[in-house]
Order: sequence, then structure tokens, then C-alpha cells
Amino acid sequence: MLVARGVTRVFGGAHALKDATMTLRRHEICGLLGANGAGKSTLSRIICGHLPPTSGEILYKNAPLVVGSARDALRSGIALVAQETSLAPDMSVLENIFLPSYAMPGRLSFAQLRQKAQAILSELGHDHVLPLDMEVRRLSAAQRQLVEIAKALALNADLVIFDEPTASLSPTEVDALFDIMARLRDSGKALGFVSHRLEEVFAITDRVTILREGRTVAEGVPTAGLTQADIIRHMVGRDIGNVYRKAPAASAAGERPVALEVRGLSAPPAVRDVSFAVRKGEILGLGGLVGAGRSESAEAIFGLRHRSAGKVLVGGREIPPNSPIAAIRAGLGMVAEDRRAQNIVPDMNVGENLFLAQMGRHKGFGRGHAARRKQARELIERLGLPADRMDANLLHFSGGMQQKVIIARWLLIEPEVLILDEPTKGVDIGTRQTIYELLREVAERGIAVVVISSDFEELLGVCERIVVVSDGYTIAELPASTLSEESLTLLAAPRSSAERNAAFLRDLVASHGGTAFWGLIDDDRFVCLSVAEAGAKEAMGLAAGHVYLARETAIPVALERRGPGFVTEADGRSTLLTRLSNRRGHDLGWIGLSLPPGSRLPDPGSLSARMAGLFETPQDAEIDA
Amino acid sequence: MSTPNRSLAIRKLANTLEFRMLGLAVVLAIILSFISPHFFTERNVFNILDQSVVLGIVAVGMTLVILTGGIDLSVGSVAGLTGIILALLLKEFPIPVAIVLAIACGGLIGLFSGVLIAVFGLAPFVVTLGVMAMGRSLAYIVSGQRSISGLPMGLQDIVYTTVLGIPTNVIFLIGLYIATWAWLTYSKGGRTIYAVGSNIEAARAAGLNTRFYSIFPYVASGALAATAMTFSLAQIMSADPIGGNQLELDAIAAVVIGGASLYGGRGSIFGTLMGVLIMVMLRNGLNLLGVSPFWQGTAIGAIIILALLAERLITWRSRRV
Repeated sequence: MLVARGVTRVFGGAHALKDATMTLRRHEICGLLGANGAGKSTLSRIICGHLPPTSGEILYKNAPLVVGSARDALRSGIALVAQETSLAPDMSVLENIFLPSYAMPGRLSFAQLRQKAQAILSELGHDHVLPLDMEVRRLSAAQRQLVEIAKALALNADLVIFDEPTASLSPTEVDALFDIMARLRDSGKALGFVSHRLEEVFAITDRVTILREGRTVAEGVPTAGLTQADIIRHMVGRDIGNVYRKAPAASAAGERPVALEVRGLSAPPAVRDVSFAVRKGEILGLGGLVGAGRSESAEAIFGLRHRSAGKVLVGGREIPPNSPIAAIRAGLGMVAEDRRAQNIVPDMNVGENLFLAQMGRHKGFGRGHAARRKQARELIERLGLPADRMDANLLHFSGGMQQKVIIARWLLIEPEVLILDEPTKGVDIGTRQTIYELLREVAERGIAVVVISSDFEELLGVCERIVVVSDGYTIAELPASTLSEESLTLLAAPRSSAERNAAFLRDLVASHGGTAFWGLIDDDRFVCLSVAEAGAKEAMGLAAGHVYLARETAIPVALERRGPGFVTEADGRSTLLTRLSNRRGHDLGWIGLSLPPGSRLPDPGSLSARMAGLFETPQDAEIDA
Repeated sequence: MSTPNRSLAIRKLANTLEFRMLGLAVVLAIILSFISPHFFTERNVFNILDQSVVLGIVAVGMTLVILTGGIDLSVGSVAGLTGIILALLLKEFPIPVAIVLAIACGGLIGLFSGVLIAVFGLAPFVVTLGVMAMGRSLAYIVSGQRSISGLPMGLQDIVYTTVLGIPTNVIFLIGLYIATWAWLTYSKGGRTIYAVGSNIEAARAAGLNTRFYSIFPYVASGALAATAMTFSLAQIMSADPIGGNQLELDAIAAVVIGGASLYGGRGSIFGTLMGVLIMVMLRNGLNLLGVSPFWQGTAIGAIIILALLAERLITWRSRRV
């Protein structure tokens, strides 16, 4: 459908692309991979007419494509879901979705557009959280990403390139997006998919094209015949070991002093009741879906957002609200989510950006740079920052390098607690690895680290303990080793589905009595996710969000044998366990009904069938339709 | 190794906008001295420096404000009002006390604007537009619609005293520029002003006192407008309620010619000085050439636009190569 050959693009003397080649076919999703700065975004933008190539040819539907502007490309049916969101912040969600249609001839019918937008958003599973009339300025980064995706879908283009569409989405949203992408593919469209996340590339693409330093090193290779190691070797030109270095056992953590404690934090509307504590030298993950209030909690802790209730204690001392300066002097550091908008000062050079937090902490009249020169030199060396380019513009560096500078900004002032919000967003895999190692190293030096991430795999790989936030409440706190990506996704589910699950359990109890629960079984441990009880005297002592050793619960035999049919304990209590999984075959844990001794046991077959139906939600049915 | 580095540094310097504006100022001076034999005389050079003082001082405040991404339209009328206040104070108080009080008045007016802008989040354009209207109207009311003369002769000393042959007002101007340059480059406050204009979110997250340094430029701008008017009064020895009229436009033009971005975060005090000199030289040269005052506005406007256009074209070309 589209062939780009020998595409070269020069930016001010540097080759962003050198002889790049890419082919997109109908009925296929082609992945475009490469380390940061390899030229993926440049190639996507050239194909979509946002940039003219310096040389090279592009054939579209067997005719040379001359795209002078993005509008020409849109007319010929090529759309781009841009990485750096290209939205008009003061216009509504609706207007942004249909912004391209302002350039099309003919009259607009807002009523029709509204219906269409509603349909697209509900496909994305976001019709209820993304009000069409809200200004884009007030949306979170992830919501903007969704608007960007909706905008491309609304164009009904023949060829769509998704440039890092999943960077700030949570797994459920990614699933919904993939469903849509698969459907577009099946309807005969050609799709391009740019991503850093290899798992996603394997999940959705048919072929991959890999760029390294502006050159195509592998073109249109079927994904099925590749392994992750193959792709990484192509991307970086060498082998990389396991990205995550496993956290040491959390056993020692108990004795270390608490570095940061948050009690009953509230900053409406996003944050309702958030409490957690993190110890010195510990890496704590703050997990949850996008919009659950994680970033907002971090901002409220740090004083960037007004907090209406709750206490924040650093090293046992309370810090005042609404004052980042006080937070920094107390020993907090924070790498905010949006690198471009919240961290980088674009008109300052790399060096000044590096010293920015030091200047904020410094009390004197001067800039306070001299006091930390030595530490700065050490940090620059350790992080592999280019010491000779300290006077260059930070924006000219890759996302990974920018992130390293921002993290170094905080390490320079030697904080007690470092909060990182999406530390590897838009960062290539090689740099991600160094950032993870850096976090580990920072923790080993006794700094408490809090990581917020929508990438649950990253969260599980890096953190020792995970606090789950949902709809502004902390709902669980679990060791990372007891969780998997799927179980974390379930825990983090928005309240609406959590409530649906709870209602389901209550129904079970109402018709059969006893205790109904839903949880995860991990060898000898049981993680309780949700529980309903008929009455206090039938209680088993389970509470949602807690981990139990199987032999310490009231149902050790059942948890070990796991059905089928009712399993009776030594004391006569009978339990039925049913395994749950979603359409994609992911393990969603176990649902159980436990009845006290002497109860009349219902038919296990029909009960199991009823239990397994928990996740057959109407929403899923819609997506299938 | 050091030679290519040095030539690189020189090329970098030559690529900065201030440096090119310095070139433009020099070229302008050479052209004017060829056209008019009176231009490059000692007397006229001092004349130009003398005429630069008022605009030069006001432009320093304007630079600070524009660096934070704001704008101060009120400087002209604040200058007019504080000029009247100074004239009245001089009748009651000794000269130094009167001057300090008048400058404090200017600072207070700036504080008023700054608080409305930084604390209440009002748009700088609108706030200072309002203050501009109020300032001019109060200048007429306080003065009784008349110019005030009969100021104490001692006031002239701040202009006509010379040190090593250089008038004190010129020395003050040079000192102010050097001090502001050092402050903007090497102090926490100066760098905070750049950070506020460039990315206030990031500045706040890094623990900088963004609120104070969003207000401070307006205070400085008001106080400097009053300071400039003090020198003006010492030269004219009378205060007129129309004094300082349209000073804000000249000051904004000088800052922009000097390479500052009206979006904030970019600009330098040296560039502003070049902008001031270019503005003053143009006006001086046109006067020497006997160009009608009514045509001078057109000429100056055209030259400003041409200078900025040339600058933009050069930047485009250097970016493409």
C-alpha cells in the first residue's frame, strides 16, 4: 500500500534518517522499532506529510506520493497519532477530535459529530470518563493521548501510523486500543505501530521494521519468527541482559526507618484518601490506572497541588502543604510526569537545568552552583551525560538523556525521598535499563524511592512493594512478588468494576450464605482482592487487599487442592474454588465460596459456571460486536 | 585543540542576536556619520548617551518583565505620575528624600500590578493597561492639569556633575546595566526570572520562589520608571502631566529589538542596551537630517520591522545549513 524507499532527512547538519525504507501493507500492522533517536518519529512524520524528506521516494497505492502538507496526506487517507500530542488545549475534546474536518469542505453538523465522537470514545472504553465538552487543557497526559487516538480514528483513514500511542495508557486501555487496531487491520487498512514496549509489538504487529541510527536494519520481518533478543540486538547492535535486576528480598525492609509517611491525603477531586509509608532504601511502586490519582497524589505530597486534608511526614517531621520549597528542604525530590511541561526549562542549557533544584534549595543570593560542582561532576560521569555539552540546549537530546538529566537534578541535592512519576515514558529500552539500575543504586544508598508507572511490568520488575490506588483511594498494599501484571490490573480496576465485582460476591452470599471471595493464589500465599460475608458469625477473617499464608487461613486444604467441587476442611467448612480468566486467556485469579460446617452445599457445577461468568461483562460483549 | 574551540566560541558569540544587533548599531552609526557631518562629533555622541538615559533605565525594568513572559504598558504613565509627585515633594522635602519617596511610589504602583498578575492570575496586558489609564489620569488630577516648574536648582546636579568628563546620569545608566547583567546571570533571583518565563511549572517544581519573582519585575519596572523621570526632571527642570507619554512603546521596542522573546525566557540586558542605542541613534540621526517629526514615526517603525525581519531571515538560513 505504501512503500518508502531511501528516505533521508537532514536536520541542521545531522542525519535524522539515512536511507530508511519501510513498507506498509493492507491487512497488516507493521511495527516500527528503534532506540531513541533512531528516527522512528521522523520517518512517521515524513510518511504523514508533517515533514518533507530531504531525499528519497514514497509510493502510495502504486503512485508516487507528493505530500506538501499534513492536509494533503489526510486527503489521501493517511493519518498520524502523534507522540507529542498535537491538540489545541483551549478547545473541547469534541472539537479536537474533529479538528481535521475543519479543513474539509462542506458544512459541519455538531450533533452528528457528537454522536460519532461518543461512538469512538465508547469503543475506546472511555465514553464515561472523557466528557466531550471538557477543555483539553484540563485533561491528564493519558486522556490527551486518548483524544489523539480518537482524532485519528475519526478520520477513517486508510493508513494510520500510531507513534507511541500506549506511552501513558494503562493495560486495560492498551487492550481496548489493540482490539480496535486489530479490527482496523481486518477491515483492510494498513497500520504502522511505533513503540518501545516489545511485549506490545509481539502482541499486535504482523511484521516489524527496525531502524538504527536513521538506517533500516531489518525491513518487514514477520514478527512470528522473531524473539525479543533478536529485536533488541537489531535495535542497539548488541545484546542486553534482563532489563530488570530483581529486587532483594523485602525481609530486611521491616527494620529500616520510615522515610516518608503519607496519612489520609486528600486533594479533591482526584485524590480522596491516600495513605502509605516508604522506608529508607526501599523502592515502592504506586500503581493504578491512568486517572486513578497517582500523579495528583505525588503533586499533593510535594506541594504542587493544594491538599485539603492529610499529613505528609518526612523522616517523622510533618511538612507544610502547598510549598515545594519546604518539601525540597525537608528532603523530598520529585521527577514530574510531563517532562516537557513540568521538568525542563527549555531556554536554559543542560547545566542550568541540572542545577535547577539545587538553586531552589539554596538559600543565598547567588545561584549556589559552586557548592555542588564536585557532586555534579561525579553524577555526570556516572550517568554517562556528555560533560562537554553542558551548554547545549537540553531539548536537542533524546528523551532518555533528558530524563537522566532531570533525575540527576534531584540526586544532586541528595534527597531522602525521591518520587518519580513515569520515569521511563518515551525512553528507549537501553536507557530504561540504566534508569532502573540507577534507581536500584539510589535505593541501596538509603534513599527511599517512590515510582509511579502505568507500565505494570516495569512496576513489578523494579519495586519491592506496590501500593494500589484506585479512584483516589489507596486500596491495597502488597509485596511485588505476590502480584502479576494481570492481578495488578484487576486490583487497579476503577471503582465501577470493583463495585460490580463486590455486588456479584454479595449476590453469591445472599443466595448461598457463608463467605464469598475473589483473590489470587501464589504457591502458599493467598491474596485477597475482594470479599463479601453473610454475617459476622460466618466471617473467615479475610479482608480485601491483604496477603495471607494459606495455612493461616480457615481454608488451607481448599487453597492447596483448588477443586474441582467442594473441598471440606478438617473442621467441616466446605469451599468451592473456580478459576477465572478473560477472553485473552489471562489468569484473573480465583473466585470462591466458603460455607461454614453443616451448611447445605449447592450444586458445584452450576455454581462454578455462575462464578466464571463474573468477567463476562456487557462492555466486553460490546467490543466483540 | 584550543584554537578550534576558540574559533567555535567566537562563531557562537557571532551567532547570538545581541552580537548582531551590536553590528547593526555600529553599521547604523557609520552610515549616519557619513550622511551627516554633525553625527559623529563629541557633542552629539554625548547627546545620544544623554538621550539614552531615560529610555535606557525604563527598558531595564521592561526587560525583567518581558523575561518573565509579561508586559508592562504602564511605565509611561507611571513615569508621568511619579514626575508630578516628585515635583510636588521637592517643594516640601530635601532633594534626596523626595527622590527616594517618588521612586518608592513607582515601586508601589508596580507592586499593585504585580500582585494582581502573579497572585490573582490576571493577564499582564490588561492589568498594566488599566494602570496606564489610571496613572495618566491621576497625573492630570494631582498636577491640576498644569506643568510644575520652579524646582530647586540642586536637582540639576544629578545630571550636570561629571566624573572624569562623563556625566553622572550616563555613569548611572552604565552601572545599572552592568549590575542588572550580573544579577540576571549569576544570582538565584536573576536565573529564577528566566526560569519563570521559560517554564514556570518546572521552576515551581524545582523549589524556586516563582511568585516573588513574578511580582518583583513589575516593582522594579515601576521604580525604574520613577528613577528615569527623576533624571528627565533634572534636565527639563519642570514636570508635565503628559511626561513619559508613549515611553512604554519605545521601551518594548528596544527590548524586542534587543532579541527578547515576548513569550518570556529569552533575552538579555546587553541586547536591550543595543536596542535602546539603535532607537536613540535613529531618532537623533533623523533629527540631524531634518526629517519632519511626522515622518520620523514611519521611518523608525519601518526600520524596526526591517531589522527584525533581517534577523529572522538570517536565523532561518543558519538553521537550514
